[in-house]
Parts: sequence; C-alpha cells; structure tokens
Amino acid sequence: MDTNFVLFVSAAIFCIGAVGFLIRKNPLVMFMSVELMLNSVNLLLVGYSKALASLDGQIFALIIMTVAAAEVVVGLAIILTIFRTRHDLNVDHINVLKG
Amino acid sequence: MFAYSWLILLLPMAGFIGLSWWGNRLPRSGVGLVGCGSIGGAFLVTLVVLADMLLLSPDQRVGNVVTLYPWIASPHFQLDLAVLIDPLSVFMLLVVTGVGFLIHVYSIGYMRDDPEYSRFFAYMNLFIFSMSLLVMAADFFFLIVGWALVGLASYLLIGFWTEKTSAVLAARKAFVMNVIGDVGMVIAAFVVFQYFGTLNYVDVFAKASTTFSPNDDGALLITLLLLVGAFAKSAQVPLHTWLPDAMEGPTPVSALIHAATMVTAGVYLVARCNSLFMLAPYTMYLVAGVGVFTAIFAGSMALVQFDIKRVIAFSTMSQIGYMFLAVGVGVFSAGLFHLMTHAFFKALLFLGAGSVIHALGGEQDIRKMGGLRHAMPITFWTFLVAALALSGFPLTAGFFSKELIIMESYHAELGNFLFWGMAVLGAGLTGFYTFRLFFYVFMGSSRSPGAHPHESPMVMTGPLLILGSLSLLGGVLGPWTHEFLSPVFSGVIPLHHEDALLESITVGVALGGIATAVALFMTGKDRLDFAKQMLAPVYDVLFHKYYVDEIYDFFIVKPVKAVGAFMEERAEKDGIDFVVDQVGAQVREVSRGISIWQSGSVRLYAMNMVAGLVTILLFVIFL
Repeated sequence: MDTNFVLFVSAAIFCIGAVGFLIRKNPLVMFMSVELMLNSVNLLLVGYSKALASLDGQIFALIIMTVAAAEVVVGLAIILTIFRTRHDLNVDHINVLKG
Repeated sequence: MFAYSWLILLLPMAGFIGLSWWGNRLPRSGVGLVGCGSIGGAFLVTLVVLADMLLLSPDQRVGNVVTLYPWIASPHFQLDLAVLIDPLSVFMLLVVTGVGFLIHVYSIGYMRDDPEYSRFFAYMNLFIFSMSLLVMAADFFFLIVGWALVGLASYLLIGFWTEKTSAVLAARKAFVMNVIGDVGMVIAAFVVFQYFGTLNYVDVFAKASTTFSPNDDGALLITLLLLVGAFAKSAQVPLHTWLPDAMEGPTPVSALIHAATMVTAGVYLVARCNSLFMLAPYTMYLVAGVGVFTAIFAGSMALVQFDIKRVIAFSTMSQIGYMFLAVGVGVFSAGLFHLMTHAFFKALLFLGAGSVIHALGGEQDIRKMGGLRHAMPITFWTFLVAALALSGFPLTAGFFSKELIIMESYHAELGNFLFWGMAVLGAGLTGFYTFRLFFYVFMGSSRSPGAHPHESPMVMTGPLLILGSLSLLGGVLGPWTHEFLSPVFSGVIPLHHEDALLESITVGVALGGIATAVALFMTGKDRLDFAKQMLAPVYDVLFHKYYVDEIYDFFIVKPVKAVGAFMEERAEKDGIDFVVDQVGAQVREVSRGISIWQSGSVRLYAMNMVAGLVTILLFVIFL
C-alpha cells in the first residue's frame, strides 16, 4: 500500500477528530473525537512502521491503545460523576473552574 | 574506685522518666514509693561513697574523676562524661539527697489530694537529678547543664499549679532572672576555655595559680561572670526579686529548692572555684559585701511581711547572704557548714509552715493564724527549734554556724569591722522577724474562728522530727565539716579564732532581737501600734520591699516593653509586614490579569490548543 495514502487518511481522520472536538458540546462525543485523533496517530505509526520495515512504530501503537483505554476509563468516570451531580452534560455549562 | 557513684544520678533520672511515662497508670502509693525510693536510694549510695571516702587518706580524697566515657575528643577540645567525687561534692550530695529525701517523704502527705500527684514527683526527681549533676560535675560544661536544669525544674515547680496566674507569672520571673545568671555562667566558661584551653575543674584549678597573678584581668573577669550566675541562682541583690515570688509553688518545693538546695548553688560555685576566687581578692570583697548587704537588706524586708512563706523566703535570702559573706572572706568551710545547718532548719521551717498551711486549708496570711500551739504540738515544737536555730540561739545548729561566720567576718584575712557590724545587725533582725512570725502563728489565740486546725499525718511530722533533731544537734558536725572539707580548700587559713567579747556581743544582739519580738508581739498591743506609728515611713518602704520590683519595672521592664511596642508598630508593621504584604498584593494583582485566560470553557481551551498546533505546524513547514 502506498505510504502517502496512509498519510492522507491519517491526516483526514485527525482533522475530523479535531473539528469534532471543537464543535460538539456533548463530552461523550468529544471523547469519541479524541479517540479518533489518537487512532489517526496510531494509523500513521503503523504506516511508517511498515514503510521503514521496523517494528518500533507498531509497538508504540499498542502502547498508545493501552494508555487510551485507561484514559477512557478515567474520563468516563468523571463524565458520569458530573452527570450525576449536575444532570447536565453541556461542556459550556461546566465552567466552575475558571480563574 | 567510685564508679558506682553514677547511681546517684541515674536513680533520680530513672524516677523522673518512669513517673513521666507511667505515673498516671500507677496508684498513688506506687508513685510515692517510686518518687521517694529513687531519692532514698541516691542518698544510700551517697552514704556508701562517703564511707569509701573516709577510708582514704585526706590527700587522696580530692580529684577523683569518674569517667563514664569520652564524649567529645577533638584535638583542641576534650570533654568526658565524668563526675568529680571529692569531699565538697560528697558534702553537697549528702545535703541534696538527704534533705531532699525527707522533703519527698513529706510531700506524700502534703500533696496527697493533688490531682497531678505523679507530675509533682516526676518534677521533684528531675530537680534532684539536676542538682546532683550540678554538684557532681567534673567540668564547667556539665556544671552549666546542671545549672540550667535546676532552673528548669524550679520553673516547672513554681508554676506547678498552672491554673494559678500568679504562679505562672512567678515561674516566668524566676526563669528570666535565672537565665540572666546562666548567660553569665556560659560566658565565664568561654573565658575559662580561652585562658586554660580546657573546662575540667582539675586542670583549670591546678593551672590557675600559674596562669594568673592576684587580681589579673582574667581572674577578675572569670570570677565576676561566675558571680552573675551565683547571685542570680542564690537570689542575692540585685538579682533577688524572683525568690519571694517563687513562694507561689507548693510548699515542699519552697523547702527543697528555694531554701535548702538550689539557692545555695551560688555558694557551692564560689567554694568549688575557690582557687580562682582566691586569685581575685577584689571579687572576694564583692562577694562578701553583697552577701552581708543582702543579709540585712532581706532581713529588714522580712520584718513586716504577712505571708508566712514570704517571711521565710526573705530569711533564706538573708541566710544565703551570710554564706556568701563567709566564702567571701575566705572561710569556705564555714560557709558550707552554714549551708548545711541552714538546709536543716530552713527546710524544717518551710515544712512546718506547710504543715500549718495544710492544717488551715491553704491560709498563708499570718494575721489570720494564731494559737496553733495546742492544735499542732509537733509542728509547734519543731518550728520552735527551727526558729531558735535560725536566730542563732546558743547550742542549736544555727548558733555554731552563724557564730563562726560572724566571728570570721572580722578575724579572717579578708574580714573587717564593717562586715562584722553588718553581720551582727543582721543577726538581730533575724531574731526579731523569726519570732514575730512564730508568735503570730503559734501563740495568742486563733484569729480565724471558723478554722479547725489539726495536726498533720505521721508522714509529714516524721520528716519534721528528723529535721528538728538535726537542727538542734547539727552543730556538733562543725569541726568534722571543717576537717572533712579542708583538702578541697588547700592553702586556705584554718579556723582558730576565739574571741569571747565579739561572741557575746553577737549572741546578745540575736537574743535582743528575740526579746524585742517578745516585747512587741507577746505582751503589749499598744507598744506594737506605737512602734508602727513611729516607723510608718520605714514600714511602708520595707513592706513594699524597697520598691525594687517597681524600680525594675520602671527602668527595665517598661522601657523594654516600650521599645518592643515601638518596634512592633514601626519596624514590624510598617517595615517588614509592609514589604511582605506589598509583595503579596502585587503578585495578586498580576495574577488577576492573567487569570482571565482561565475561562473554564473547555472548548475555548481546545481551540487555543489547536490554534497553537497549527501555528507551530506553519512555522515548521514554511520557515
């Protein structure tokens, strides 16, 4: 497969994730966008790993997936707690931590 | 040889630690047993030391240093954990642990109803430990450690009743006064080290006469600095004002610390450093002069006080003045002999006073006492013995020791007629105020009708009886004391003065004082009123203790407080606080400006992140 193709797909997914993160107000959807960005990077790493004939990138991708899983657990717990206390998940309303 | 003498320190220390940790869990009888047992044990060990020492020939008795282990060993400074066992330290230990033991036993009865029984005994054991360390120290370093620790024990015990404001204030006053002395002592130790390169008594005193010629600057400086400590601890003018206030503590404390042992530490210090003091005759004159001045100064204040313990406290200052007179004119053994007899009869007076206070439910004003001779026969008779001994009534213990001092104040090499005259005047005052107190308390009829005084229990009267017999018969120990202590005071002239004329004058004046008290307080009420009217201005001055407290307040306390208030207002609030507050305020202002960026909106943060990312990307690509 052409490396450039992988690059383009990766960049496209990343941009979709970034834009999704910026424009959506539901933290769950924002979380999914973050996952998209993370996995776009994974795709990039795997693509280069193949192009350069080195396994390092794939190992890195596995580690990122592990960390992402852990991060999702924490993040979902926080979101759940916020919802329990506020009954409202609009991120624009969650701004009590301002300076 | 004397290796076991460490037990004298360890037993009270063990008692202190044990009672501090487990005292609350022990029953009261257990606390009393541990508290008194540790001191009794120390006394027994002291007796064994004494017996061992008497087996040695006199010139072998001095300079026995028992080293536990070397503590500091550097090329320029060696310090061992060591005690010095010689006649002087054994003599002091006998007084400290012996009288201390009796007072501990007495305390079992006196403090019986106190809720903090075990704390009291813990502190008392701490005191005995500190005092033993003070007199056993083999160098100036541990002397100062003991010196400071007895000050601490004194502070803790004066302020023992922490809920009593006056007691806490008195404790603070005593501590501050004593710290003035401690500073003098520490600087003295520095100067000693500067001249001798060591702090060991044995080395310092051996080198003293070759290092200094008489009245050298160094000898004067060291002795004067030591005197600051001695005068503060022994409540001599001008550092005397703490002792009357120290009577706020429990009565056994007054007996043990503020009469029998701690306040005599100054006399011990001068005696211990006799080879230094003998090289500084000017200082010796100062010692004797201040001593004899304090003797009549304090004696005159005792004439008009109404608090039973304060009268005895002033009398203590006065008697310590006699001891300083004795060591100041160079007859050290006479001063120490008086120290011992004074420990007997003054502890007895205080314990008797405690017995009276106990019987009257805490009353200390002698105007509200009277007629106690029937209710409390044992206290009455022992108090009478103590009063006679204090006044120097012939053939009591106090007679021999005081007579010796007064005689030597004229006949000794450094003595003169002025010292003698003042000492005799002091003896007259002593007779008067002692029997004034005695008549107020025991004779006449009761002045507080509601009270039902009763004799104290056996555990309190027992020590009274023992001390009473010592006060009565202790005089026979005079020649033995002199002979026993003479190896320590090598080169000091022996006592051999017989002067019937001076002796009879002294006795006459002392008896005259007693007779005056009889005349004023036993017989004529109108004569007393007449005398009071005649001497009203003097009476006022004496009653207010020469206004010394007020003078100190005006010249020292108030200015210091004013400076403190000024510094608080100008330097603290307008200076340091202002700078600190300004730094804080400015940081807060700047932060307020920056904190606008922290809006709390997650999407704005994300926007910024992406914008930043894009910017970096553009830089990387196009530059």
